[in-house]
Amino acid sequence: MSAQRENKREGDGYDMLQFTESSPLPPLTSQLNNGLLRSRAPWPDFPSSSSAKQGHLGSINSAACMEQLLAHCAYAIESNDATLAQQILWVLHNIAPPDGDSNQRLTAAFLRALVLRASSSGSSSPSFAALASTISSSSTASPTPSPLLSPVSLAAFVDLTPWHRFGFTAANSAIADATDGFPVVHIVDLTTTHCMQLPTLIDTIAARRPDDPPFIRLTVPTPYQNSPPPSLDISLDELGSRLVTFARSRNIKMDFRVVPSSPADGFNSLFQHLRIQQLVAAEALVVNCHMIPHYIPDEDTSASCCGLPPRTAFLKALRSLDPIAVVVVDEDADFTAGDVVTRLRAAFNYLWIPFDTVDTFLPRGSEQRRRFEAAVFWKIENTIACEGVQRVERLEPRSRWVQRLRAAGFRAVGFSEDTAVEVKTMLDEHSAGWGMKRDDESMVLTWKGHDVVFASAWIPSSVS
Amino acid sequence: MPVDFECSSVMTVSISASGEASVSSGQHPVATALQQPPKKKRNLPGMPDPDAEVIALSPKTLLATNRFVCEICNKGFQRDQNLQLHRRGHNLPWKLRQRTGKEVKKRVYVCPELNCVHHDPSRALGDLTGIKKHFSRKHGEKKWKCDKCSKKYAVQSDWKAHSKTCGTREYRCDCGTLFSRRDSFITHRAFCDALAEESAKSQIDPVPNPHVEKESKAAVSAVLQVPHMEPTIPPPPPDQQGPKNTAGVLHYMPHQPPVSISVNSNKSSGTSISGGSSNSATTSTTSVFASLFASSSVAPAATTQRTSLSDLICAMSRTERCTGGVMEPPSLCLSSHGSASLFPPAHERRHFATTTPTPPAHMSATALLQKAAQMGAAASCSSFFRSLGLVRPLSPAVAGGNISEGGGDIHCRRSPAELKETSLPYAGLGLGVPQENRAGLSDLMMGSSSLFGSKPATMDFLGLGMHHNSSVGAGGLSAIMEGGIDVISGTPASRPMEITLGEGVGWRQSKTKLPATGGLVEESESMRNFK
Repeated sequence: MSAQRENKREGDGYDMLQFTESSPLPPLTSQLNNGLLRSRAPWPDFPSSSSAKQGHLGSINSAACMEQLLAHCAYAIESNDATLAQQILWVLHNIAPPDGDSNQRLTAAFLRALVLRASSSGSSSPSFAALASTISSSSTASPTPSPLLSPVSLAAFVDLTPWHRFGFTAANSAIADATDGFPVVHIVDLTTTHCMQLPTLIDTIAARRPDDPPFIRLTVPTPYQNSPPPSLDISLDELGSRLVTFARSRNIKMDFRVVPSSPADGFNSLFQHLRIQQLVAAEALVVNCHMIPHYIPDEDTSASCCGLPPRTAFLKALRSLDPIAVVVVDEDADFTAGDVVTRLRAAFNYLWIPFDTVDTFLPRGSEQRRRFEAAVFWKIENTIACEGVQRVERLEPRSRWVQRLRAAGFRAVGFSEDTAVEVKTMLDEHSAGWGMKRDDESMVLTWKGHDVVFASAWIPSSVS
Repeated sequence: MPVDFECSSVMTVSISASGEASVSSGQHPVATALQQPPKKKRNLPGMPDPDAEVIALSPKTLLATNRFVCEICNKGFQRDQNLQLHRRGHNLPWKLRQRTGKEVKKRVYVCPELNCVHHDPSRALGDLTGIKKHFSRKHGEKKWKCDKCSKKYAVQSDWKAHSKTCGTREYRCDCGTLFSRRDSFITHRAFCDALAEESAKSQIDPVPNPHVEKESKAAVSAVLQVPHMEPTIPPPPPDQQGPKNTAGVLHYMPHQPPVSISVNSNKSSGTSISGGSSNSATTSTTSVFASLFASSSVAPAATTQRTSLSDLICAMSRTERCTGGVMEPPSLCLSSHGSASLFPPAHERRHFATTTPTPPAHMSATALLQKAAQMGAAASCSSFFRSLGLVRPLSPAVAGGNISEGGGDIHCRRSPAELKETSLPYAGLGLGVPQENRAGLSDLMMGSSSLFGSKPATMDFLGLGMHHNSSVGAGGLSAIMEGGIDVISGTPASRPMEITLGEGVGWRQSKTKLPATGGLVEESESMRNFK
């Protein structure tokens, strides 16, 4: 049975031993096969991921080992090898306590996601199938919302790390630049952070234009199903009223409206609303996409909008509105692989970052830390345990988004020197591991040299 | 009042009582101050004395520091008078200006920047230090940088003042919260009840303003959107905006906030309670973990399991009693205990519950039993999964006993305090594993114990797997082990992870921005050893 398993592995072209290769650079094909190949921007200062990986395997490498075991386990589950899966789970369980160091916690989270997957996958093995039927009999579709936060707590939560602040700072600066001089500015905020960016955006605009404050129209979509935690304990309408009050205190008149819409259909209903709005009012439209584009279904799902894949349809609809600026901020990783093993490796090699960073700003056992890690667990479980439309964490790397946006008729405008300085100043307020790199079209937040989040600003290109 | 005699250009303006200013000299256009409607802005100084002499200094003069230098010791002074006093110490000739019998005429200073509000004599600043600071702050280079927050200041004294309080208090919200960063403060401020209350208060007594009145007829929201407090209202949005679009627009009344206050306080107290209990759960899990690995020989391990089993049962039945739930056969509780310990403590568990199908909170134990029975007999592996706690309450049961696991589990999830109790016996873990693997599992546990004892943890772990290969009777596992060994012994491969070995602490101490290929890891390891 064991031999059979080995054969199967090789037959699949699944390269289990890719990390044992002794060549200085792993063959490109193996990286491609694993879906880990990411376009690396040519910033010479930063050791590329592969070269950084090279030097240190001689040292304790438990993370690599854990990844390997997780991958084996995922493979065993996928091939309905319950015995093997159980054994690996047991081993992993012993070496990765959920309250251990950052790698152990990371592994424990993946382990849990794998078991969830094993119990919910529709695989043919009777053992898993029985588990699966159990799970599917209740509604997996509607997870209970995680503990709700007040806006003030959420603000403090988002403020802990540059994960969101990086995008906020870059986008605010770019939006203030783009809207300068326009009497009426319509900002569409597509975000997972429940408008947490808007106070600083309003403040930035107000500070920039003390003598001719614009009228701001703000449109946000409703919270949607399967949205990542944490969630707010007040309605968006009430949040909006606070924002309007705040804007007034900054001498800015503002309208706030909520439009029922969700990334599941590429915000179709929101676009319909915006099209009508454009007919009745002349206004400078800015669309801020913060960490949300990857929740729009990709080509892997059978979903389609207007006959197009949802992501294409979304960008096309965006382009048709002729916005004066579009800001796209998202996590820079690739979670789109169809097979779970590749996805697991990609997620493991990205989501270690939040676990690694958390030690720098939150003490163990704190409530905020629990919340922070819970948000990462949510991502891991969604990436590993869910499939189809349930799997909403479909990150695409920066290069892919750049490609998509160009194809949709947008041109990158890059960020100004001032913006870069602002971002750097913001990063200086956080742990020394954070960094930023910048090229003509985008900025990338880095942690210890690894790409974390990218920010890019776009305008419609003249030839569309 | 010390007077600077080295004024590069003096423009004397006498301001008559009527407010009409007449310029006696100077090339700067002087606005007729009081023809504009009176404006009140927070930071404006009071109106200068109409009889005051208005002085305009050049930027160079304003930025110059210590222009009066002693030729003996090169010490610089901001004022000639001070230099004269200093010269006295060197036995040099010195001369202090004598006060005239007549009272010195009041002088005010205007800013040389044409676009600055203080360029207007009616907004002149009252003293030389003031105008110097103003000019540096608003129009000068910010060359003083705070080491802690990188904020820059043009005036050294501002920088000093900031440095004293940086990181401790910078921005204070009316609710009492302090912030060191402006962004944090702004975001908090926008959503804080304090602002909502404040603005609600200001709405109670609106200043009558004909302009506002008129607008309010056009759009209901206008009254709320126009700031009453400041007569310097920005121009209303262009007409195209007004009546046409108001129909679909949401308008907010500032009377809502008081309601939300109570809601918030309720919520926040709830979360903090659960936080406390999850902490204790964490500790207990850790300690049990440690004890598990302490017993490294096979036989004692088995004993431990048995004793802890009984503990488990006790704990569980206690739990059941407490919650008033149905009393379950004790042996059934094993797996749920396993789950409690494998699983992260209460907090993560709760999160877990959010993404998995959660049975209705009020589902009775009987209902759960029925549901589980419907599932029929599950495959042998399910017990293991259950022992890991990863199967949710509705999972099928191998032995009848497992059925009750669901019930117990629900109790765990409902109350973190109970979880703390039940999560104690970590040793119960192994019990969910199929019988035939038991020997192998003991080996595994041994392996794990030495794994944690020896230094290069993973290597040892994998090596042990090799040794026990034959006796374990789990071929697949040994295969993994071999694969794992290859991983370790093999030459470096593409892995970004090792960089993460360094703890955040190391990073902060090193102040390294980028991972230096060799140095970083070395440093991390030294940190690790230190720990």
